[in-house]
Amino acid sequence: MAAVFNLNHHAQYVHWHFFQMSVSNILVIVAMVVVFFAAIFIPFPSHGVNADSS
Amino acid sequence: MSVAEDRSWTGRLRRRAVGALPPEKLLPDKQPSYVSSWIYVFGVLSLSCLAVIIGSGTILALKGPGWWHFTGVGHFFNSIHLWSVELFFFFMVVHLWGKYWMAAWRGGRARVWITGAVTFLVAIPCALTGYVSQQNFDAQWISTQAKDAMNSAGIGAFFNLLNFGQMYSYHVLLLPSAVVAIVVAHILLVRKHGVVPPFELQATAAKAPEPTATAESVEQETPA
Repeated sequence: MAAVFNLNHHAQYVHWHFFQMSVSNILVIVAMVVVFFAAIFIPFPSHGVNADSS
Repeated sequence: MSVAEDRSWTGRLRRRAVGALPPEKLLPDKQPSYVSSWIYVFGVLSLSCLAVIIGSGTILALKGPGWWHFTGVGHFFNSIHLWSVELFFFFMVVHLWGKYWMAAWRGGRARVWITGAVTFLVAIPCALTGYVSQQNFDAQWISTQAKDAMNSAGIGAFFNLLNFGQMYSYHVLLLPSAVVAIVVAHILLVRKHGVVPPFELQATAAKAPEPTATAESVEQETPA
């Protein structure tokens, strides 16, 4: 990963009034939100026999 | 049943445990249809990550800082430990959001919700003590910063983040034991009360005078 992304520098921050957060942390939070909505809307593969059995 | 069996604490404990969690409830082979959703997967993923965390952490504790800092295999297990923690929090937060918006405390499940939320809260200092136990400059920086935070919160006299021995003991024994104990309680409570049904199903069950096709869900809703 280090060869693809140059990590040898200071962290980048988003600073807006009282809000201050590193870009990496913001990306993780955005990823969590995306995964959360994906988990809600993407249909779960069923076994195709009986919905009540797992 | 003899009188001795009836009065013994082991007998009473067994009867109480089996009464609360009969085998078919403890290890069910069926779940209601609404459990077939990705949102329910994140609790299991959190548990899987916890298993990897405990396993990799045990190996790190066996080998020590010289190994995890200066050998290739040590680096590997150090990274496994770090990233399983990152994923543990990631999945746990998604699980927590899902359960919050489902109001998972419905139907007598308050303790299920509380143990889940407390697991998240206890896991935070568990991770923090891990960051300050790395034995490198990163750990020194984090510990001095966190020490200021503890002092400003008025609890610096109880938790000294510059005390490596105290932090390491917290990280490898006290806090992981607490997390595992609360998680076990959480799972047993989920087994006891069942997975919370969707709002629509709860409303249907409340209106239905007799058990209908959703009988299994209605049964799940009955506070045990």
